[in-house]
Formats: sequence, structure tokens, C-alpha cells
Amino acid sequence: MAATQDAKGKGEGGDQNFDYMFKLLIIGNSSVGKTSFLFRYADDAFTSAFVSTVGIDFKVKTVYKNEKRIKLQIWDTAGQERYRTITTAYYRGAMGFILMYDITNEESFGAVQDWATQIKTYSWDNAQVVLAGNKCDMEEERVVSVDSGRLLAEQLGFEFFETSAKDNVNVKQTFERLVDLICDKMSESLDTDPAVTTGAATAKLSDSAPPLQQQGCNC
Amino acid sequence: MGSNVKSNEIPLQKNTLWTSLRTTLQKGPAPAPRRNAASVQPSIFSTLMRPNVPNPKDFIPLYCDCMSKACSRTQEYLLFKDPEDKFHPSPEVLTQIFLMTYISQSIHLNMTDSFNCTVMTPQQRILLGADWVWAILDKPTKNPRIQIAVQVLHMANGEGVVENYPRESGTESLQMAQRESSNKTVCERMVDFCASVGKECYALFLFLGRRNDAGNIYGVLSNNFQAAIGKCDNIDRDLIENFFKGSKYLHTPTGMLQSIISKRDQEALTLLIKFS
Repeated sequence: MAATQDAKGKGEGGDQNFDYMFKLLIIGNSSVGKTSFLFRYADDAFTSAFVSTVGIDFKVKTVYKNEKRIKLQIWDTAGQERYRTITTAYYRGAMGFILMYDITNEESFGAVQDWATQIKTYSWDNAQVVLAGNKCDMEEERVVSVDSGRLLAEQLGFEFFETSAKDNVNVKQTFERLVDLICDKMSESLDTDPAVTTGAATAKLSDSAPPLQQQGCNC
Repeated sequence: MGSNVKSNEIPLQKNTLWTSLRTTLQKGPAPAPRRNAASVQPSIFSTLMRPNVPNPKDFIPLYCDCMSKACSRTQEYLLFKDPEDKFHPSPEVLTQIFLMTYISQSIHLNMTDSFNCTVMTPQQRILLGADWVWAILDKPTKNPRIQIAVQVLHMANGEGVVENYPRESGTESLQMAQRESSNKTVCERMVDFCASVGKECYALFLFLGRRNDAGNIYGVLSNNFQAAIGKCDNIDRDLIENFFKGSKYLHTPTGMLQSIISKRDQEALTLLIKFS
């Protein structure tokens, strides 16, 4: 599992105290609420004004799990087709994806399969994915049922949440579940492939199996 | 960059062009003649009338007005000479003055539905190399049809050249962004970004003062800077400023937008512009 981790538990860069760094991406059609979702999680803020994301952006948030400090580098991608070249370049090395659709927009739900294919094409096999049906506060305008979302997630092998960045529903839970999945996958990889514990001194984000120094992910 | 300012809130201006534009915007479809007071249905002919859709090129004079104001305001600071030589506005401040003046005026003129301006976050400024992106929007989707990514280039005191990094570059996020893109110059990053979008995305390097003309504002715009990659060692300010050498013609802001709009698909276009 790709991870950035210094052997002594000190990372590079400004705030150097972290045990792991996870690179996460939020993807999905334009205007499903990716940026709002990230703002809610990172800054606990929401604005209904819509500003289309240009290219790519990111925020950093640190979470704690089993006394481990995990730095999340969360990339917010533009959903418009014109930015596809630049956004897919950032899939490389990502450990987790939040694939988002809008429960009031059938087209965004129909595009989920295409986004899943993009993940397979540009990311690595062990990347974890959570499917998020956003804007669940807009029940009156719903066109995608909860069951449809859940069924599709099962078919694709993804976890599933319905969320609302506006009302702060399942935002934190979505990220926490994704972090759990990544940690589980890391432990699993280390159990089945001891070679990954004998790698280089400092792991970098990569799209190959990570050269972790320590015994396993205790997060 | 949405705007809630209505056209009827635009104050009177001396310029007759603005007045005529404003009048056009205020005019709705002519009401259908009413045959009697009881009739509330509009005439069938009213549905045949053209809706009050602004001409897609209407934003050009509005854009020029915004640029004129932004340039004038910025020039006040560019040309300022402190008698004691102690006060020098920073490059970051000059960019902010320019952009804030532009944005204020664009909202005032209610043009953001057809031509908008998206200011980049500090991280995006490093990753994509752009300070802001202008977009000509399609109606009614408001999706960008043509984009202009803008990077401001400054003169330092004594006409030296300064880098244009966000002030808060010490923060963790920005250090991460710099690590992500450390192998390219900030100019190259914007050229790469525009090339990744396609020929309808232009890179505009906006010079707030040039070496031999510190008080004026110029631009070099192209959708073909990536052609220089491989031919030149790297794309930097010197290379871009070289475009002015030997150039006989400088476009106006109006000419710039007209050239962009009338360009054929996939055609390369490079222009030099004098904004002030």
C-alpha cells in the first residue's frame, strides 16, 4: 500500500509530526458537491454559491487513529471533461477515492461506472473507493434512490454513504471509513507480503507497493 | 464569482455606449397588445419575439472597461515614487489591487454571467501557475467555452524581476504544493495547464511594468507556448519578454478578445497586448 512515512515517525515538510500520509481524491461529475464536501470536512464550512473548480486543488487535514497521526492530503478535482488530462495525472499514487454523485442528478449517477473505470485505468489496484450520494438534504428533488446507490456500490465493490455537505450528514463518516479501509488494506498487504517491510528508508507516495519501514499499519 | 447586482442598479455613466447597453438590457420583450381587460393570456405573437438574450460579444466593452479601471488603479501604485524611497508596494499587493479593482467593476457591470473570473487558491497558484482564470461562458450552461489563465509578472525595485509566490508560502499546504511541482518553473506550469485543457485555453502573462517601461501594463497571450518546450531550455520571464523584441503591433484588450473569439478551432494564436 502506498504511503508516505518516515521511519522515525517524522514526515517531511511544514508540520513534520505525522506517522502516515494518505493521498485521497474526490472525483465525480461537475456540480455534485465535491468542493463543498471537502470544505465541510476540512473547515466545517458551507456556502451555497457555486464556483466551478479549475483543474485541481487540495487541502490537508490531520486525523488520529489508534494513537497514530495520519495526515490526509485530500485532492479536490474538477469534474468537467476539459480538465480530465490534468486530474487523471493526480490519480497516480492515490490510496483512496471518494466517488461522488448527486442524488438529484441522474446523469451524475449514470457516470459513476465511467469514473470507476477511470480509477482502474489511472490508479493502482489497491486503491480504496467509497461511493457517496451527495445532497441527501434535497429529498424532494431526489431522482436516485438509496437502494440504487447501494446496489451499484455493491456491484462495484465500493462502500456506500449518502451524504450532505450542506447539513453535515455522513461527511466525517465517509472520510473515516475510507481511512479505515486504507489501514485495513495496509495491514493486509503487510501480512501477506513481508517484502514490503524491507524497503527503503523513506517511503514516498507511489503507485507500487510501499516500502514501509515499520512492522505494519497500527492505525 | 457570481453577481447579484442587477442591470438597473448600474449608475448612470457618461459614456453613451454604456447607456445604450443598459437601456437594451432593461428593455424586456414588448408587451402583447391587450384586447380587453379580462384577457390575461399573452398574444400568440409574443412567443415569436426574440427573448432578451444579450449578444455573446456584449461582454467585450464591459471587459475593456474593467481592465481600464484595474490598470489605471494599479498604475497609480506602479508610478508612485516615495520621496524618501521607503515605501514600495509588494508584488502581491499590486496583484491584489489589480484583481480587486477588476472584480469590483465586473460585478458592478453585471458581466459575470457571460465572462467570469475565478481567483486561484494559494495552492492552485503553485500547482497550475495561474493567479486567476478568465472564462467566456456558454449560455445557458455557463460552462467555459474559452479560458484565459493569467499569471502576473512583476518588476522589483530597480527594475529587477521578482518571483510571484503567495506570501503565505511557509505554510504546510503550500510547501506540499511546491514539492508536487518543483521540477518546473511557474511559467511552465501554467503553459502545461493550458496545454492540458486544449487550444481554447490561453496563457496570458500579464506584465505589471516591463524593463524599459515600468509604468505600463502589457500582456503576452498564446495558446501555443508549449511549442517552445523542447526548443528552449525553459520557459521563463526572459523568454516571454523576448516576444516584445521586434514586435511592431500591440493589440488592445478589445482586439485581444475579438481575435480569440474569431479564431478557428485548433488554430494557434499568439498576441502582444498593451492594456494600459
